[in-house]
Amino acid sequence: MNWGVVRAYMRKEILELLRSKMIIIVYILPTFIIILFGYGIRLEVTHARTLIIDHDQSKLSRDLTERFMHSRYFDARLFRGTEQEALHRIKQAKTEILLIIPQGFERRLLHGLRGEIAAFVDGAFPIRGETMSNYVKGEIFHAAQSVAPDLAPRITLDNRNLFNQAMRDEDAIVPGLFGLILLVAPAILSALLIVKEKEEGTIFNFYASPVRKSEFLLAKLTPAFLLHSLNILILFLWATWLFQVPFRGSFTLYWLASELYILISLGIGLLVSIVTRTQIVAIVLTVIITIIPGFLYSGMLMPISSMSGESVIEAHIYPVMYYNHIVYDAFLIGQGLDAPKIRLYLLILTLYAAAILALGSALMKKELR
Amino acid sequence: MNRTFLALVTKEIIAFFRSWGLVAVVLYSFTLDIYIAGKGIEIQAKNVSVGYVDRTAGALSGKILARLHAPEFKTPVRFPSRKALYNAIRNRKIMVGLIFDTDFSREFYRGGPARIDLLLDAITASQSFQALNYLQNIVLDFSRTQVHVKLKIHKLFNQNARTSWFMSLAELLSITTLLGVILTAAVFVREKENGTWDIMLLMPIDPRITILAKSLSQVLILMGGIFLATGLILFGTFDLPINGSLAAFFLLSFFYAFTSAGIGLFVAAVSRSMLQVAQMAILIMMPMIFLSGAWTPIHAMHPLLQKLSLLSPLRYYIEGSESIFFRGTPWGDLWPYFAGVILLGGMLYYYGFRKIGKLF
Repeated sequence: MNWGVVRAYMRKEILELLRSKMIIIVYILPTFIIILFGYGIRLEVTHARTLIIDHDQSKLSRDLTERFMHSRYFDARLFRGTEQEALHRIKQAKTEILLIIPQGFERRLLHGLRGEIAAFVDGAFPIRGETMSNYVKGEIFHAAQSVAPDLAPRITLDNRNLFNQAMRDEDAIVPGLFGLILLVAPAILSALLIVKEKEEGTIFNFYASPVRKSEFLLAKLTPAFLLHSLNILILFLWATWLFQVPFRGSFTLYWLASELYILISLGIGLLVSIVTRTQIVAIVLTVIITIIPGFLYSGMLMPISSMSGESVIEAHIYPVMYYNHIVYDAFLIGQGLDAPKIRLYLLILTLYAAAILALGSALMKKELR
Repeated sequence: MNRTFLALVTKEIIAFFRSWGLVAVVLYSFTLDIYIAGKGIEIQAKNVSVGYVDRTAGALSGKILARLHAPEFKTPVRFPSRKALYNAIRNRKIMVGLIFDTDFSREFYRGGPARIDLLLDAITASQSFQALNYLQNIVLDFSRTQVHVKLKIHKLFNQNARTSWFMSLAELLSITTLLGVILTAAVFVREKENGTWDIMLLMPIDPRITILAKSLSQVLILMGGIFLATGLILFGTFDLPINGSLAAFFLLSFFYAFTSAGIGLFVAAVSRSMLQVAQMAILIMMPMIFLSGAWTPIHAMHPLLQKLSLLSPLRYYIEGSESIFFRGTPWGDLWPYFAGVILLGGMLYYYGFRKIGKLF
């Protein structure tokens, strides 16, 4: 390896990155994604727009209505129109929940009969529909209990929410984004750096010159690696400062895992650059093969332990699962290297990075195809 | 003039089919990618892994555990001690841990509240919350608490809360945006990079026709993809219901494809190389997709983001398509969505049109 060549090549790469404003994508994109997703994904439901049609007009039904109005989960108001009109409003997506309290509700209850309430919930957004109907159930159950206090249940659940006591969406989502961002951004950069030369034809300089393949790759990937390493710190700051996610584990472990993960991502970009000839295909291909697994196997929407069948195998193929396990541990759990699973996953990441970079440089040809 | 127009459209479509890489990527995006997203992203709590520690004789706790079954729960795993259970949760093998203490069954038969300790991995907050809800219902049901109020819940439009319906549709719409912008921008910028764009503008053809023909060709490719995805994936694989008019969906898609072509034009106008196209496209599209309500309903967002989402044409497209497929909204009530898409699209298109049609 001729270090003079590598240094000169690297200098050229860095200058080009700065001049082509590619540097923008290196630093804006990760920040952008973390802010958008961090604020954008809200799975908890508050202020569900609720209409209540009260045919009963009794003290009990008014109590119930009152309950819904004072809950932070609902934005409830009484509706004086017909049921058809209210259902039409759901169709227009102006209302999400419709409660209908029938006539004679209170009287039936006082006679010890069952009173029946109808609830219509907009299920077009499934997770939200499910959560809303659970809230409605809970609210009505509490109301029923307050009418008849002898209803105390014989079993109680005493729940402790571990790692995320308040069940904040931010704590759940933001660390999971790391695995997505650091998979997409470095891959795009390294793919473009090489494919750009292919498309513009400047790669022939490399083909024809005595520069070795290893020198070329080292010069191409090192600037990308160093630039993205700063993102590890930037993302950490956004998470802890802007989103107030606690950090309970070891920063060194987080740093080390992230560096390895960036190497893997650069390797993916390298593989993409081998099979593509134009920049547009390279970009779209990279985005497609990284974003979907980055989401699916991140563990932020669905825990890996809940997966079954082929998705378990797929989850183990992509690097996201291993990395995110370490990131979640570093942020929320805090076991660090004491846990054998973390040590194993760190080892897997190391091997993964070595394998993918070796594969990429083996497949790259220094000649015209 | 009509002939020129047709010739240009045909030329672009042929050029598209000749670059096999691009064809493959577009085909993949409109079929497999949507399939994976619909199949894989499941936000409903299912297969929740349960562990338990049982210090009672086992009769009563066994009956409760027997109620934790598929599809919501995996078969509960027994742990020797609280510590072992806690460790499994920390290693994220187990999501829900139940602990039955020695006096559990005694308290229960005495009629007093018997307590189950519940350890919950709350990292995936929404799933944990749902699992908690399932458990609460099971426990209530088990203690046969008579609630005199019966609640009849009708989940409209998607009774079984199938996430695949929603996710596959949202993914189709996002893919349309992504490809619409990038394909259109690429068509123009490639000519810019090769230096042929100036020649195109100098030719004795109205540049407006050139631009319109070029973007129309990409809109047609997109429409082809949308037809394919709707037939093969949405209806063919996921059995989406269609409660409204399919024609309305295609019409809305057509307008939207033009809108995304308009964004592509805008991107092409301000960038000189494909690299810049990639940067611009990502910077514009990411917020567009995430402000659109594909992931989170708009009114559940931060108030500032809610205002901003009015600027995302994808918002109108997604809400409109959701309404057509699931809510079965009649034509008359669809006008806000059409208006939003056409208005925003028209403005973007006009700007890009003006900017890229100028020689200097």
